[in-house]
Amino acid sequence: MNYAYWLSNIPGIGIRSRNCLLAAAGSAEEVYRLTKQQLLAIHGIGERQACQIAESKNRDYEKAFEALEKRGIGFISREEREFPDRLRNIPDAPYSLYFLGELPGREDMKKKLVAIVGARRCSAYGHAVAEKLGHTLAASGAGVVSGMAQGIDASGHRGALQGGGRTFAVLGSGVDICYPAYSRELYEEIAEHGGVISEYPPGTQPRPGLFPARNRIISGLSDVVVVVEARARSGSLITADYALEQGKDIYAVPGRLYDALSEGCNRLIGQGAGMLFDVGEFLNELKIYGMKHEGTENFKKLLLEKDENLVYSCLSLRPKSLEQVLEETGLTVPEAADILARLIRKQFIAETARNYYIRQI
Amino acid sequence: MYSIVSTAIIRGIRSIPISVEADVSDGLPMFEMVGFLASEVKESRERVRTALKNSGFMLPPKRITVNFTPANIRKSGSGFDLPIALAVLASLGHIKGDGLKAVFLIGEVGLNGRLQPVDGVLPMIAEAKERGIGKCIVPAENGREAALVSGMEVYAAGTIREAVDILNGAGKILPKVPYYIEETGKKTVDFSDIGGQKAVKRACEVAVSGMHNLLLIGPPGAGKTMLAGRIPTILPAPNEKEQMEISKIYSVSGLLGGHGGWMRERPFRAPHHTATPQALAGGGGMPKPGEISLAHRGVLFLDELPEFRKETLEILREPMEEKKISLARLGGSCEYPADFMLVAAMNPCKCGYYPDVRKCTCSPAAIEKYIGKISRPLLDRIDICAELPQLGFGELRKNGEEETSAQIRARVQRTLDIQQKRYRNENFCCNSQIPAVRIAEFCSLDSRQEKYMEHMYETLNLTARSYHKILKVARTIADMEQSERIELRHLNEAVCYRSIDKKFWEGRG
Repeated sequence: MNYAYWLSNIPGIGIRSRNCLLAAAGSAEEVYRLTKQQLLAIHGIGERQACQIAESKNRDYEKAFEALEKRGIGFISREEREFPDRLRNIPDAPYSLYFLGELPGREDMKKKLVAIVGARRCSAYGHAVAEKLGHTLAASGAGVVSGMAQGIDASGHRGALQGGGRTFAVLGSGVDICYPAYSRELYEEIAEHGGVISEYPPGTQPRPGLFPARNRIISGLSDVVVVVEARARSGSLITADYALEQGKDIYAVPGRLYDALSEGCNRLIGQGAGMLFDVGEFLNELKIYGMKHEGTENFKKLLLEKDENLVYSCLSLRPKSLEQVLEETGLTVPEAADILARLIRKQFIAETARNYYIRQI
Repeated sequence: MYSIVSTAIIRGIRSIPISVEADVSDGLPMFEMVGFLASEVKESRERVRTALKNSGFMLPPKRITVNFTPANIRKSGSGFDLPIALAVLASLGHIKGDGLKAVFLIGEVGLNGRLQPVDGVLPMIAEAKERGIGKCIVPAENGREAALVSGMEVYAAGTIREAVDILNGAGKILPKVPYYIEETGKKTVDFSDIGGQKAVKRACEVAVSGMHNLLLIGPPGAGKTMLAGRIPTILPAPNEKEQMEISKIYSVSGLLGGHGGWMRERPFRAPHHTATPQALAGGGGMPKPGEISLAHRGVLFLDELPEFRKETLEILREPMEEKKISLARLGGSCEYPADFMLVAAMNPCKCGYYPDVRKCTCSPAAIEKYIGKISRPLLDRIDICAELPQLGFGELRKNGEEETSAQIRARVQRTLDIQQKRYRNENFCCNSQIPAVRIAEFCSLDSRQEKYMEHMYETLNLTARSYHKILKVARTIADMEQSERIELRHLNEAVCYRSIDKKFWEGRG
């Protein structure tokens, strides 16, 4: 019998009651052996909870636990040695975790874990920055932690996978539920090259209330939290608050004034967060080494033909439509379409939506 | 005494000849009509009897029998009044000799004996002429329409009395109306009205050059409707045969009035998105052409495509393949031509601002749902997709020299001629209709291009179908340049017009 699993899955017993029980009894096994009178004597446990604990002992937890293992879902509690030490000492520390793939191990901690978080509805630029950052970190040996939400989170994970590194996703639902559903491919790849983690039992549907709480695990697992794009009132700022509470470093990617998607980031910088203005320097500060040096933009430009340069110069980090490109360069559609396709082929630019183009960073 | 006159009914846009026989004999006084009559034709008896009395003809107290042949076709419509009245009058001896021989009659009468116009006169007269009938009497309001058929002596009568006089040798023949009567004076639309929007104007030209169906995507107010309304002006001008086809459909629908009796331009139909399947396909107890037939040889424009009901859009599938629609109704089945170019328009998302994430308030799920509302099979039949970005004020103000429709039309004609020549031995005539199995033959690529397209296929997540569409569009672009081979630049441009599919928006905002 896995007592920790039993304790994590008693209906009606939440984090608070569980902590009260553990504080009084010491371990899940001890809690299991308590009589009803003893339970009622514990501060914070009422008649109702005591009844529910007594009732739960009649249920077949062993079978449920075996089913879990059969599905490849791992379970670990604070009472085990392998439980990530980083999560033991954070406020409201989770008692147990479920995971697909692996949990971040000591090796991962040594190589540094970086949380990449930000807005779900982000700009093409935000996508590109998160992906590039994830890629660079992975290529330098660091791992990426995030929440697998659409937008910045997903791009961070994707970049890390492309960089051949490890990445961990902390979900606001059970680990067996892929949310958002269309991220299935990403979800499976993360489980393969890292792990999908959740403190909620399998089968838990994503609910708005669950997401803020999982942010404390994201920041708890990481050495540093990077906010790529965030609106003034963003869930990413909750992660930043947790990071602050846990004593982690926070970095924000600076943005333009009046840009709604950068307001949260700029505010963080104003409040004293680190400014991520150069990825190389950021890695140095974190003592992550191993990044390959890349050519500068001017050097890259030499590789372009004259007409390609004309189009490349008119593009920026914000998406421009084909129509705008025609307007600014005076080219005809066939000419511009041809040049744009060549630039994409050379990976100088990217198509962010149909016929919208952005400079590749 | 026995008499017989010729008239017709409309089935689809074809006219079926009907003979009306009348006989007056001794016996109990009565007025009997037989021959598979619809109720509006049965009512004709009372109208005719009263109209004859009010025109000064006294019906004698005799047995009057009227028969319609062939008896196996259901007779419907209101155009039988005049033939019945004249057949009866002939039986009573009011018409001299063989005055009724080889005369085609059609028209409704009022109780006072005045003739009222009916729908579908043009196809009836055209068909009567083919049968060898050389003379016809129609209500005055239908005179101009009937006179469009050359080689027919058209008489227009205002009353039953006038019709009798014509048959007895009075009245004058209406001159044949020239095709190009009176310039209506209203300013016609032209492509040069639209400033800027180079990319989408080019897309329109490519679409028309290969007869590809087109989908326009843009925020509200970007000019989608304005653009679509001008597409008929760059389609090649309809030839006389096509004009006749269009005019017949409009005649049957009773819509010719406002067009001076003749459709010289390609039609542009824009049904509202609340349209029912029947409104689009045509129908009713007495079938009438629907919007898709009214758009024959022209443009059917569906604005706010995702707002159309799914059943309505499903209707389009068969006509888009067959270029015609067959309707089976209570009153019999009929067929309407429906060879149109489909132009659809939609917002990129519910709020209309995607992919501008700073303004767009839609979640990706909402965007996917919005796109998901469009029927897949319909999207499969659309080769070209183009965006209209929101215009900045600077672009709006600019009034440079814009190309006129006539200039574009000349180029389009040249491109279509190339295709007609290439496909002269085939059962299709333009690039959009190349069947999938023959794409490799007409859109062949060299090995370098194949390799390039393989790369595109993977990076753009194409499907076999969307890949074929790109090849067909590239073929059209090559034809526009009068290039025998498809070059890389043609493929690159075609990729810009690739159709949207479910995966498309998944991209990154």
